[in-house]
Amino acid sequence: MANVNELIQGWGFKKQADIVTANVAAGIWRHTNLNTKPWAKVPVNEDDRAEIGKGHEFPTQLFKSHYNMPAFEISKYASSEFLAWAMAFSLGNVVLTGTGPYTYVIVPALGATNPTGLELPYFSFVQQIRPGGSAILDEILIGCAVKGWKLSIKNSPGRASAMCSVECVTTGKYTSPSGITLPAATTPHEFNAGMITALTFNGVDYLTGGSGKQFVSMDCSWDNNLRPGFFPGSGTQDGFQVQGRFEWGDRAFAVQFVVRVQAGSTEYANLINQTTGSATITLSSDANNSFSMVIQKMGFSVVELGNTDGIATLQITGVQLYDATNGLVTVTVITPQNNICQ
Amino acid sequence: MQAVQTCFLESPQGDEIKEVEATAAALSPLLSKGWHQVPAPAQRETVVLAQKED
Repeated sequence: MANVNELIQGWGFKKQADIVTANVAAGIWRHTNLNTKPWAKVPVNEDDRAEIGKGHEFPTQLFKSHYNMPAFEISKYASSEFLAWAMAFSLGNVVLTGTGPYTYVIVPALGATNPTGLELPYFSFVQQIRPGGSAILDEILIGCAVKGWKLSIKNSPGRASAMCSVECVTTGKYTSPSGITLPAATTPHEFNAGMITALTFNGVDYLTGGSGKQFVSMDCSWDNNLRPGFFPGSGTQDGFQVQGRFEWGDRAFAVQFVVRVQAGSTEYANLINQTTGSATITLSSDANNSFSMVIQKMGFSVVELGNTDGIATLQITGVQLYDATNGLVTVTVITPQNNICQ
Repeated sequence: MQAVQTCFLESPQGDEIKEVEATAAALSPLLSKGWHQVPAPAQRETVVLAQKED
Protein backbone atom coordinates (compact mmCIF):
# COMPACT_ATOMS: atom_id res chain seq x y z
CA MET A 1 0.00 0.00 0.00
CA ALA A 2 1.03 3.58 -0.53
CA ASN A 3 -0.25 7.03 0.17
CA VAL A 4 -1.36 8.84 -2.94
CA ASN A 5 1.12 11.61 -2.24
CA GLU A 6 3.80 9.18 -3.35
CA LEU A 7 2.31 9.39 -6.83
CA ILE A 8 4.59 11.13 -9.29
CA GLN A 9 3.53 12.19 -12.75
CA GLY A 10 5.26 13.27 -15.90
CA TRP A 11 4.07 13.88 -19.39
CA GLY A 12 5.41 14.77 -22.78
CA PHE A 13 6.27 18.41 -23.29
CA LYS A 14 7.28 17.27 -26.74
CA LYS A 15 4.64 15.81 -28.99
CA GLN A 16 4.58 12.16 -29.96
CA ALA A 17 5.59 11.28 -33.51
CA ASP A 18 2.11 9.80 -33.93
CA ILE A 19 -0.68 8.56 -31.71
CA VAL A 20 0.85 5.11 -31.09
CA THR A 21 4.49 6.13 -30.55
CA ALA A 22 5.25 7.05 -26.95
CA ASN A 23 7.41 9.98 -25.95
CA VAL A 24 10.95 9.05 -25.01
CA ALA A 25 12.26 10.11 -21.61
CA ALA A 26 14.07 13.14 -23.02
CA GLY A 27 10.76 14.61 -24.12
CA ILE A 28 8.98 14.14 -20.80
CA TRP A 29 8.93 16.53 -17.89
CA ARG A 30 7.73 15.93 -14.38
CA HIS A 31 5.31 18.26 -12.65
CA THR A 32 3.22 18.37 -9.52
CA ASN A 33 -0.55 18.26 -9.87
CA LEU A 34 -3.31 19.63 -7.67
CA ASN A 35 -5.54 16.79 -8.85
CA THR A 36 -4.70 14.05 -6.36
CA LYS A 37 -6.24 11.18 -8.29
CA PRO A 38 -4.23 8.91 -10.56
CA TRP A 39 -5.43 8.49 -14.14
CA ALA A 40 -7.61 5.39 -13.92
CA LYS A 41 -7.59 2.71 -16.59
CA VAL A 42 -11.05 1.29 -17.14
CA PRO A 43 -11.23 -1.86 -19.26
CA VAL A 44 -14.85 -2.83 -19.89
CA ASN A 45 -16.24 -6.34 -20.28
CA GLU A 46 -19.57 -7.11 -21.86
CA ASP A 47 -21.68 -10.27 -21.67
CA ASP A 48 -24.24 -12.25 -23.61
CA ARG A 49 -27.36 -11.49 -21.56
CA ALA A 50 -29.18 -9.98 -24.56
CA GLU A 51 -28.73 -13.07 -26.74
CA ILE A 52 -31.43 -15.68 -26.99
CA GLY A 53 -30.66 -19.34 -27.53
CA LYS A 54 -29.25 -19.98 -24.07
CA GLY A 55 -32.54 -21.16 -22.54
CA HIS A 56 -32.62 -18.32 -20.02
CA GLU A 57 -32.07 -14.62 -19.71
CA PHE A 58 -28.92 -14.70 -17.66
CA PRO A 59 -25.43 -14.00 -18.95
CA THR A 60 -23.15 -16.99 -19.36
CA GLN A 61 -19.97 -15.51 -20.73
CA LEU A 62 -17.79 -12.40 -20.61
CA PHE A 63 -16.32 -10.70 -23.67
CA LYS A 64 -13.60 -8.10 -23.78
CA SER A 65 -15.01 -4.82 -25.05
CA HIS A 66 -12.88 -1.69 -24.87
CA TYR A 67 -10.81 0.60 -22.70
CA ASN A 68 -13.18 3.31 -21.53
CA MET A 69 -10.57 5.78 -20.35
CA PRO A 70 -11.96 8.62 -18.26
CA ALA A 71 -10.84 12.16 -18.85
CA PHE A 72 -8.08 13.28 -16.51
CA GLU A 73 -7.42 16.71 -15.10
CA ILE A 74 -4.03 18.29 -14.68
CA SER A 75 -4.63 21.21 -12.38
CA LYS A 76 -1.85 23.67 -11.68
CA TYR A 77 -1.11 27.19 -10.68
CA ALA A 78 -0.55 29.22 -13.82
CA SER A 79 3.06 29.31 -14.98
CA SER A 80 4.80 30.17 -18.20
CA GLU A 81 5.79 26.54 -18.80
CA PHE A 82 2.39 25.04 -18.12
CA LEU A 83 0.44 27.67 -20.02
CA ALA A 84 2.69 27.24 -23.04
CA TRP A 85 2.10 23.50 -22.89
CA ALA A 86 -1.65 23.78 -22.38
CA MET A 87 -2.16 26.27 -25.18
CA ALA A 88 0.13 24.51 -27.65
CA PHE A 89 -1.44 21.08 -27.22
CA SER A 90 -5.00 22.41 -27.17
CA LEU A 91 -4.88 24.90 -30.03
CA GLY A 92 -2.41 23.18 -32.32
CA ASN A 93 -0.80 25.82 -34.55
CA VAL A 94 2.45 26.73 -32.78
CA VAL A 95 5.37 28.94 -33.79
CA LEU A 96 8.50 28.65 -31.66
CA THR A 97 11.31 31.18 -31.83
CA GLY A 98 14.20 32.26 -29.68
CA THR A 99 17.26 30.73 -28.12
CA GLY A 100 16.26 31.07 -24.50
CA PRO A 101 13.93 32.34 -23.35
CA TYR A 102 11.66 30.85 -25.97
CA THR A 103 8.64 32.53 -27.48
CA TYR A 104 5.59 30.54 -28.46
CA VAL A 105 2.90 32.14 -30.59
CA ILE A 106 -0.12 29.88 -30.70
CA VAL A 107 -3.45 30.01 -32.50
CA PRO A 108 -6.18 27.42 -33.09
CA ALA A 109 -5.33 25.19 -36.02
CA LEU A 110 -7.69 25.06 -38.97
CA GLY A 111 -8.91 21.66 -40.06
CA ALA A 112 -8.54 22.52 -43.73
CA THR A 113 -4.87 23.39 -43.45
CA ASN A 114 -3.59 21.57 -40.36
CA PRO A 115 -0.95 19.00 -41.43
CA THR A 116 -2.64 16.40 -39.19
CA GLY A 117 -6.18 17.27 -40.23
CA LEU A 118 -8.57 17.44 -37.28
CA GLU A 119 -6.08 15.84 -34.91
CA LEU A 120 -4.11 17.77 -32.33
CA PRO A 121 -0.63 16.83 -31.12
CA TYR A 122 -0.43 13.79 -28.88
CA PHE A 123 1.66 13.25 -25.78
CA SER A 124 2.39 10.45 -23.31
CA PHE A 125 1.53 10.47 -19.62
CA VAL A 126 3.63 8.66 -17.01
CA GLN A 127 2.40 7.87 -13.51
CA GLN A 128 4.43 6.04 -10.93
CA ILE A 129 4.31 5.01 -7.29
CA ARG A 130 7.61 3.59 -6.08
CA PRO A 131 8.91 2.77 -9.56
CA GLY A 132 11.47 0.00 -9.69
CA GLY A 133 11.48 -3.69 -8.95
CA SER A 134 8.40 -3.67 -6.74
CA ALA A 135 6.51 -0.72 -8.16
CA ILE A 136 2.98 -0.16 -6.98
CA LEU A 137 2.25 1.79 -10.14
CA ASP A 138 4.45 2.38 -13.16
CA GLU A 139 2.85 2.96 -16.51
CA ILE A 140 2.97 5.22 -19.52
CA LEU A 141 -0.31 6.07 -21.22
CA ILE A 142 0.23 6.53 -24.93
CA GLY A 143 -1.72 8.80 -27.23
CA CYS A 144 -3.05 11.46 -24.87
CA ALA A 145 -4.61 14.67 -26.11
CA VAL A 146 -5.85 17.88 -24.56
CA LYS A 147 -9.63 18.06 -24.60
CA GLY A 148 -9.77 21.52 -23.11
CA TRP A 149 -8.65 23.88 -20.39
CA LYS A 150 -9.89 26.42 -17.92
CA LEU A 151 -7.98 29.52 -16.95
CA SER A 152 -9.16 31.50 -13.97
CA ILE A 153 -7.93 34.77 -12.55
CA LYS A 154 -9.43 36.32 -9.47
CA ASN A 155 -8.98 38.91 -6.78
CA SER A 156 -7.22 36.84 -4.14
CA PRO A 157 -3.75 36.50 -2.74
CA GLY A 158 -1.21 33.92 -3.76
CA ARG A 159 -0.86 31.24 -6.35
CA ALA A 160 -4.55 30.38 -6.44
CA SER A 161 -5.28 33.78 -7.94
CA ALA A 162 -4.17 32.49 -11.36
CA MET A 163 -4.87 28.86 -12.13
CA CYS A 164 -5.08 26.61 -15.14
CA SER A 165 -6.58 23.15 -15.32
CA VAL A 166 -6.30 20.97 -18.38
CA GLU A 167 -8.63 18.10 -19.22
CA CYS A 168 -6.89 15.27 -21.03
CA VAL A 169 -8.07 12.14 -22.79
CA THR A 170 -6.16 9.03 -23.77
CA THR A 171 -6.57 6.12 -26.12
CA GLY A 172 -6.27 3.20 -23.69
CA LYS A 173 -2.89 2.19 -25.08
CA TYR A 174 -0.25 1.87 -22.39
CA THR A 175 3.01 0.19 -21.44
CA SER A 176 3.75 -1.10 -17.96
CA PRO A 177 6.33 -0.84 -16.57
CA SER A 178 6.82 2.45 -18.30
CA GLY A 179 10.57 2.13 -18.82
CA ILE A 180 10.78 5.84 -18.06
CA THR A 181 12.93 7.34 -15.33
CA LEU A 182 11.23 10.60 -14.57
CA PRO A 183 13.49 13.61 -14.11
CA ALA A 184 13.39 15.86 -11.07
CA ALA A 185 10.20 17.85 -10.87
CA THR A 186 10.23 20.97 -13.00
CA THR A 187 10.15 24.22 -11.06
CA PRO A 188 7.64 26.26 -13.01
CA HIS A 189 7.78 30.02 -13.17
CA GLU A 190 4.42 30.80 -11.71
CA PHE A 191 2.19 33.80 -12.09
CA ASN A 192 -0.28 35.33 -9.70
CA ALA A 193 -2.90 37.97 -10.25
CA GLY A 194 -0.57 40.65 -8.98
CA MET A 195 1.56 40.10 -12.09
CA ILE A 196 -1.17 41.12 -14.51
CA THR A 197 0.15 43.87 -16.74
CA ALA A 198 -2.73 44.14 -19.21
CA LEU A 199 -6.41 43.48 -18.66
CA THR A 200 -8.64 44.97 -21.31
CA PHE A 201 -12.02 43.73 -22.48
CA ASN A 202 -13.87 45.33 -25.34
CA GLY A 203 -12.31 48.74 -25.00
CA VAL A 204 -12.31 48.94 -21.20
CA ASP A 205 -8.99 48.84 -19.37
CA TYR A 206 -9.63 47.15 -16.04
CA LEU A 207 -6.08 47.60 -14.82
CA THR A 208 -5.54 51.33 -14.86
CA GLY A 209 -7.52 54.51 -15.28
CA GLY A 210 -11.18 54.99 -14.47
CA SER A 211 -11.99 51.27 -14.46
CA GLY A 212 -8.82 50.21 -12.66
CA LYS A 213 -10.62 49.06 -9.53
CA GLN A 214 -13.56 47.32 -11.21
CA PHE A 215 -12.17 43.88 -11.98
CA VAL A 216 -13.17 40.95 -9.77
CA SER A 217 -12.54 37.71 -11.66
CA MET A 218 -12.30 36.05 -15.04
CA ASP A 219 -12.86 32.49 -16.20
CA CYS A 220 -12.14 31.41 -19.71
CA SER A 221 -12.20 27.95 -21.17
CA TRP A 222 -11.51 26.06 -24.33
CA ASP A 223 -13.15 22.78 -25.31
CA ASN A 224 -12.08 20.79 -28.36
CA ASN A 225 -15.16 18.56 -28.06
CA LEU A 226 -13.06 15.62 -29.20
CA ARG A 227 -14.91 12.86 -30.98
CA PRO A 228 -14.61 9.27 -29.76
CA GLY A 229 -11.84 7.47 -31.59
CA PHE A 230 -13.09 3.91 -31.94
CA PHE A 231 -13.07 2.79 -35.54
CA PRO A 232 -12.08 -0.23 -37.61
CA GLY A 233 -8.38 -0.71 -37.06
CA SER A 234 -8.17 1.65 -34.09
CA GLY A 235 -6.15 -0.95 -32.20
CA THR A 236 -6.27 -3.09 -29.09
CA GLN A 237 -4.65 -3.31 -25.68
CA ASP A 238 -4.86 -6.58 -23.70
CA GLY A 239 -7.54 -7.69 -26.17
CA PHE A 240 -9.70 -4.60 -25.49
CA GLN A 241 -10.39 -2.09 -28.23
CA VAL A 242 -8.65 1.26 -27.85
CA GLN A 243 -9.16 4.58 -29.55
CA GLY A 244 -7.00 5.36 -32.55
CA ARG A 245 -7.56 9.07 -33.04
CA PHE A 246 -9.03 12.12 -31.38
CA GLU A 247 -10.56 14.58 -33.79
CA TRP A 248 -11.84 17.91 -32.65
CA GLY A 249 -15.53 18.65 -33.11
CA ASP A 250 -17.13 22.07 -32.74
CA ARG A 251 -14.59 23.86 -30.59
CA ALA A 252 -15.90 26.20 -27.93
CA PHE A 253 -14.12 29.21 -26.47
CA ALA A 254 -15.92 30.73 -23.50
CA VAL A 255 -15.05 33.83 -21.52
CA GLN A 256 -16.87 35.17 -18.48
CA PHE A 257 -15.73 37.94 -16.22
CA VAL A 258 -17.06 39.86 -13.26
CA VAL A 259 -16.53 43.56 -12.65
CA ARG A 260 -17.80 45.97 -10.06
CA VAL A 261 -20.48 48.41 -11.17
CA GLN A 262 -19.59 52.04 -11.09
CA ALA A 263 -21.06 55.26 -12.42
CA GLY A 264 -20.66 55.32 -16.14
CA SER A 265 -20.00 51.58 -16.52
CA THR A 266 -20.05 50.89 -20.23
CA GLU A 267 -20.70 47.16 -20.19
CA TYR A 268 -24.48 47.44 -20.65
CA ALA A 269 -24.03 49.95 -23.44
CA ASN A 270 -21.53 47.69 -25.14
CA LEU A 271 -24.03 44.84 -25.09
CA ILE A 272 -26.99 46.91 -26.27
CA ASN A 273 -24.99 48.62 -28.99
CA GLN A 274 -23.34 45.32 -29.97
CA THR A 275 -19.97 46.96 -29.62
CA THR A 276 -17.06 44.68 -30.30
CA GLY A 277 -13.40 45.02 -29.53
CA SER A 278 -10.36 43.01 -28.65
CA ALA A 279 -9.54 41.65 -25.21
CA THR A 280 -6.03 41.30 -23.83
CA ILE A 281 -4.93 39.48 -20.70
CA THR A 282 -1.22 39.60 -19.93
CA LEU A 283 0.66 38.10 -17.00
CA SER A 284 4.35 38.83 -16.66
CA SER A 285 6.77 37.94 -13.91
CA ASP A 286 10.01 38.93 -15.66
CA ALA A 287 11.56 39.22 -19.12
CA ASN A 288 11.75 35.43 -19.42
CA ASN A 289 8.25 34.56 -18.27
CA SER A 290 5.05 36.03 -19.62
CA PHE A 291 1.69 35.00 -20.99
CA SER A 292 -0.53 37.09 -23.21
CA MET A 293 -3.87 36.15 -24.66
CA VAL A 294 -5.40 38.40 -27.28
CA ILE A 295 -9.01 37.69 -28.10
CA GLN A 296 -9.28 39.35 -31.44
CA LYS A 297 -12.91 40.39 -31.42
CA MET A 298 -15.22 40.18 -28.44
CA GLY A 299 -18.83 41.20 -27.97
CA PHE A 300 -21.10 40.58 -25.03
CA SER A 301 -24.06 38.19 -24.97
CA VAL A 302 -25.09 38.65 -21.35
CA VAL A 303 -24.46 41.39 -18.81
CA GLU A 304 -26.11 40.50 -15.53
CA LEU A 305 -26.27 42.65 -12.43
CA GLY A 306 -25.43 40.73 -9.29
CA ASN A 307 -23.70 40.66 -5.97
CA THR A 308 -20.18 39.44 -5.27
CA ASP A 309 -19.22 39.41 -1.62
CA GLY A 310 -21.53 42.30 -0.92
CA ILE A 311 -20.44 44.47 -3.82
CA ALA A 312 -22.70 45.20 -6.77
CA THR A 313 -21.17 43.55 -9.78
CA LEU A 314 -21.80 42.74 -13.40
CA GLN A 315 -21.23 39.23 -14.68
CA ILE A 316 -20.40 39.45 -18.34
CA THR A 317 -20.46 36.63 -20.82
CA GLY A 318 -18.36 37.32 -23.86
CA VAL A 319 -18.94 36.18 -27.40
CA GLN A 320 -15.60 35.57 -29.07
CA LEU A 321 -15.99 36.41 -32.72
CA TYR A 322 -13.74 35.16 -35.49
CA ASP A 323 -12.00 38.18 -36.92
CA ALA A 324 -11.54 38.08 -40.68
CA THR A 325 -7.95 39.28 -40.45
CA ASN A 326 -6.55 37.99 -37.16
CA GLY A 327 -8.67 34.95 -36.42
CA LEU A 328 -10.13 34.04 -33.03
CA VAL A 329 -7.41 34.20 -30.42
CA THR A 330 -3.64 34.50 -30.31
CA VAL A 331 -1.61 33.38 -27.32
CA THR A 332 1.99 34.43 -26.82
CA VAL A 333 4.05 32.77 -24.11
CA ILE A 334 7.65 33.49 -23.21
CA THR A 335 9.24 30.76 -21.11
CA PRO A 336 12.66 29.24 -20.41
CA GLN A 337 11.37 25.82 -21.57
CA ASN A 338 12.36 24.84 -25.09
CA ASN A 339 10.69 22.38 -27.45
CA ILE A 340 7.16 22.44 -26.10
CA CYS A 341 4.91 20.65 -28.60
CA GLN A 342 7.82 20.24 -31.05
CA MET B 1 18.93 46.54 -28.76
CA GLN B 2 17.56 43.03 -29.17
CA ALA B 3 17.44 41.74 -32.73
CA VAL B 4 14.00 41.08 -34.14
CA GLN B 5 13.27 37.38 -34.16
CA THR B 6 11.94 35.92 -37.34
CA CYS B 7 10.54 32.58 -38.33
CA PHE B 8 9.64 30.80 -41.53
CA LEU B 9 6.07 29.97 -42.37
CA GLU B 10 4.71 27.77 -45.12
CA SER B 11 1.46 28.56 -46.85
CA PRO B 12 -1.54 26.25 -46.41
CA GLN B 13 -1.12 25.12 -50.01
CA GLY B 14 2.55 24.36 -49.45
CA ASP B 15 3.59 26.48 -52.40
CA GLU B 16 5.20 29.41 -50.60
CA ILE B 17 7.55 29.98 -47.69
CA LYS B 18 8.08 33.40 -46.21
CA GLU B 19 10.18 34.83 -43.42
CA VAL B 20 8.03 36.65 -40.91
CA GLU B 21 8.72 38.73 -37.84
CA ALA B 22 7.90 36.50 -34.87
CA THR B 23 5.40 38.74 -33.17
CA ALA B 24 1.80 38.04 -32.44
CA ALA B 25 0.73 40.98 -34.56
CA ALA B 26 2.66 39.77 -37.60
CA LEU B 27 1.87 36.09 -37.14
CA SER B 28 -1.82 36.19 -36.27
CA PRO B 29 -3.12 37.04 -39.76
CA LEU B 30 -1.05 34.25 -41.31
CA LEU B 31 -1.47 31.55 -38.68
CA SER B 32 -5.20 32.09 -38.57
CA LYS B 33 -5.30 31.40 -42.31
CA GLY B 34 -3.46 28.14 -41.93
CA TRP B 35 0.17 29.09 -42.42
CA HIS B 36 2.42 26.99 -40.20
CA GLN B 37 6.03 27.07 -39.11
CA VAL B 38 8.73 25.23 -41.03
CA PRO B 39 12.46 25.02 -40.29
CA ALA B 40 14.75 27.77 -41.52
CA PRO B 41 16.20 27.07 -44.99
CA ALA B 42 19.59 26.04 -43.60
CA GLN B 43 17.91 23.41 -41.42
CA ARG B 44 15.64 22.02 -44.08
CA GLU B 45 16.55 18.82 -45.81
CA THR B 46 17.86 19.33 -49.29
CA VAL B 47 15.95 17.37 -51.85
CA VAL B 48 18.04 16.38 -54.83
CA LEU B 49 15.97 15.59 -57.87
CA ALA B 50 17.27 12.72 -59.95
CA GLN B 51 18.50 13.85 -63.34
CA LYS B 52 17.03 12.27 -66.35
CA GLU B 53 19.51 10.06 -68.17
CA ASP B 54 19.74 10.54 -71.91
